[in-house]
Amino acid sequence: MFGLRAVCSIALLVVVVPAGAQVIPIKTIPIAQGDQFQIFPSNNLGLGGVSIALADSVGDPFINPATTARLRGSRLFSAPTVYSVSRRAGGGRSLPLAMLARRATWYGGLALVLQQVDPSRPPQQGGFIAVANAVPPSTAEIPGPDLRAHGNEYAFGMIGRTLPGNLSIGASALWTGLHALDGVDLLYSGSLRVKQTGHAVDLRMGAVKEWPGERGARSLEAIVLHNRFAATHSVLFADRVWDPGLQQIVSQLRTDHNFDHTNTWGGQLKYQVPLAPPGWRIGWMLTVNRATHPKLPNYEITNVAVIPWDPGRSYAFDLGVGLSKVLGPATFGVDAIYEPISSYTWADAMAPTTTLGGDTIATGGKTVENRFRFSNAVFRIGAGRDINLEGSPKMVGLQVGLTMRSISYRLLQTNHVELTQRTLRTGWFEWTPTWGLTLRFPELELRYRGRVTKGAGRPGAQFVSNFRDFALAGAAILAAPSGPLNLIDVNTSTHQISLSLPLH
Amino acid sequence: MTVSVRPLCVAALVLAAACDETPPTSFSESLDAQLRRSIGPWGVVPIAAPPQQNPALVALGRALMFDKILSGNRDIACATCHQPAMHMTDGLPLAIGTGGSGSGPARTLGPGRSFVPRNAPSLLNSTIGLFYVFWDGRLSRGGPPLPEVTLPAGLPNVIAAQAMMPVLNRREMRGGLGDVDVFGNPNELAQFPDSQATQIWRAVMQRLLAIPEYVTLFSAAYPGVPPSSLTFVHAATAIAAFQMAALMKADSPFDRYLRHDDNALSVEEKRGGILFFTRARCVSCHGGPFLGGQNFSNSGVPQLGPGVGQGAPLDLGRGELQNNAGYRFAFRAPPLRNVELTAPYFHDGSLPTLESVVAHYSDVPKSLREFNPATLPAAVQSSYHGDQATIDDILRTLDFQLRTPLQLTETEQRELVAFLKALTDPAARDLTALTPASVPSGLPVP
Repeated sequence: MFGLRAVCSIALLVVVVPAGAQVIPIKTIPIAQGDQFQIFPSNNLGLGGVSIALADSVGDPFINPATTARLRGSRLFSAPTVYSVSRRAGGGRSLPLAMLARRATWYGGLALVLQQVDPSRPPQQGGFIAVANAVPPSTAEIPGPDLRAHGNEYAFGMIGRTLPGNLSIGASALWTGLHALDGVDLLYSGSLRVKQTGHAVDLRMGAVKEWPGERGARSLEAIVLHNRFAATHSVLFADRVWDPGLQQIVSQLRTDHNFDHTNTWGGQLKYQVPLAPPGWRIGWMLTVNRATHPKLPNYEITNVAVIPWDPGRSYAFDLGVGLSKVLGPATFGVDAIYEPISSYTWADAMAPTTTLGGDTIATGGKTVENRFRFSNAVFRIGAGRDINLEGSPKMVGLQVGLTMRSISYRLLQTNHVELTQRTLRTGWFEWTPTWGLTLRFPELELRYRGRVTKGAGRPGAQFVSNFRDFALAGAAILAAPSGPLNLIDVNTSTHQISLSLPLH
Repeated sequence: MTVSVRPLCVAALVLAAACDETPPTSFSESLDAQLRRSIGPWGVVPIAAPPQQNPALVALGRALMFDKILSGNRDIACATCHQPAMHMTDGLPLAIGTGGSGSGPARTLGPGRSFVPRNAPSLLNSTIGLFYVFWDGRLSRGGPPLPEVTLPAGLPNVIAAQAMMPVLNRREMRGGLGDVDVFGNPNELAQFPDSQATQIWRAVMQRLLAIPEYVTLFSAAYPGVPPSSLTFVHAATAIAAFQMAALMKADSPFDRYLRHDDNALSVEEKRGGILFFTRARCVSCHGGPFLGGQNFSNSGVPQLGPGVGQGAPLDLGRGELQNNAGYRFAFRAPPLRNVELTAPYFHDGSLPTLESVVAHYSDVPKSLREFNPATLPAAVQSSYHGDQATIDDILRTLDFQLRTPLQLTETEQRELVAFLKALTDPAARDLTALTPASVPSGLPVP
């Protein structure tokens, strides 16, 4: 049997940042998000993504520009990445081209990424028997589902400088032109098409301070970031209406414009200290995010208690500790992160609204307030080993890892119109096995990294042949507009091959 | 493994143990989620704007609707029983046809006349595309021909077909043998035997085309048709066009709610809507695009009036029609948009308010047995058939869904009424502007 998961709330914050960066994702529904933003190469991806006490020589410059100071020379990167959602529910591919260069105390980098995201589809179910929906005639041409892949573009630029006293500073900007966010088209039940337009900007300043010591350097890394995300979902529906002229039910096209705006300020401090045993390091991490949501989209998922969202704000924290060991060819890393988040959103009255008690909420007043309290946890662990090939300058590196993410929250919803209060406690668990293979040649590094995320789902449509789902209207049998939606368990698989070439 | 690593491994185990998937605790749905889910299966959809009608056709139809020239005695127009001021009905339990005097609820029977056996249904949204017309649904789209008359070809829709009928009915518009009109002249329409519908329609057209203003109106509405070729089908078509242009009122708060405006309904209305579509089972008869109009039900309505056909003095409703014995005492479930404006209710107007209707449905057998005729206007009280045999007869074929009392609380009844009032298009509240200052015949406008 397929895992069907009834869901009781909807909210999903989308942020466009390089995967693993310092904008904390907030999810209130166990919906599988494709690995769309894994656009830059990462060495630690195969190690479960450990990062607190273990540097990522390839990926860190895209996270904290000041870490580029650790780069020994200029390099050219590319990291074609492919992800897919199981049950043929979606997928995408990215092709980045990046260059990191340094000259004397200055360093910088540029990257361009082209991305193609396939349209998201309800997960395919084996043995599924299609039921023909009675499609009424229309007053306009009804377009079919959009089966084309849509593209996003990313442009990244970074500059930094090494200052005296083992201090490095840097700044970076990532601009994204958005036309496709994976999975969004499934969040509007009954829609024909969802056209996405938008952009995102991620600005960050970073600093790294190192204190050399006998056992290795202590280091303090700091980042301040500002992320602005603005997207518009133009959702096309075919509404069924009765046409008194034609005297039958017809379809009329309707386009809803849903806006999704979130602005985030964030900061992160990361402190690493070498331990007494050779190769061991311990690190601590504190991440703080303050996100304001001028407008959040009101998704529609059939059979789900839709929680109205309009504006809102969130505070998210990551408190983490990590341990690593790099000794000779062996690498080990582990991170444990506690992630408390509070989120407060509300719905505004569009017009004076009378409450059940007879009072009136003025236009702009709060009709519904949602207070989320998350208590999430993340655990990452990974190990790797480099193997020198005898008699050859080549080397092979192997990595395995695991990421576990626990999401748990309590929602207190106050409805000032119905004069009710509801409480929801829910949670789920996602786990992600990772692996990696590196081939290192004297002038070239070729990396393969892979991971599969399990534990989340995607909305699927179930056709229900219960007679109550049909209504007789004249000679026509009118099927219910759509069947109940559930989340069907899916896996998200990501494969990245990265190539690193020195630039002379 | 060093001491430093152990706590992390322990933490990982604790985390893994704590991370069992937690099923969502019960989270009661919002009213909107409940209401939209409960509406879903019943084919209830909003109504699109009606098609534009030919203005000349509408002008002709409006004149005909309000002109008493169509009646044998020149004393009653369509609009007498379908008054704009009364939301296209008359406010009476049973309609009063030719010979009556006064208007609206104050209208009284003429000497020697009797009530029309059934309530005059409102013409609001009559052109919406109903499948059945009349309380017994004897006229229907694609249904069998009418038993009493053969309708001519060329009628564009069922409402135009319906408009052919009242001029044939002696009690409603045509008058009885020996009647004289308001000027003391013999009523020539009443002279025809009931079987000669074609001759009656032709005689009505002769009256109309004797008036120059009607010739002009018909010429404008049917520019390619010479006056000699005009028939009452053209007149009925114009009346239907007027109804389509002027009486389609389907932009109620509930329709706006169906168009995804969650704020269109109040909390009380939403609660009433949930009851309507679920526990109160109203939707089982009042579903589909029109919230009714598609089926027939014996709702245990008190019997009132002179009765119809073989069943008189009772009114067997659809059961009176041939081969419909199973529908004994069953009447068409009316479409409910604007129902707030069209009291009194049921086929004989026996219940005066929405509150009384909802209370009736809460416990139909009890309501029927305990019906108090004193709640009726005095003129019809004596025609109430409250004998035990009649009540038992009605209850014998009562709709099976109504046999078990719903036992709605007072709050629930109030919420249901609130929902029913949310079916009112604000534009339907005042239709008096539809009444013309005069009509081509020069007869008084009702």
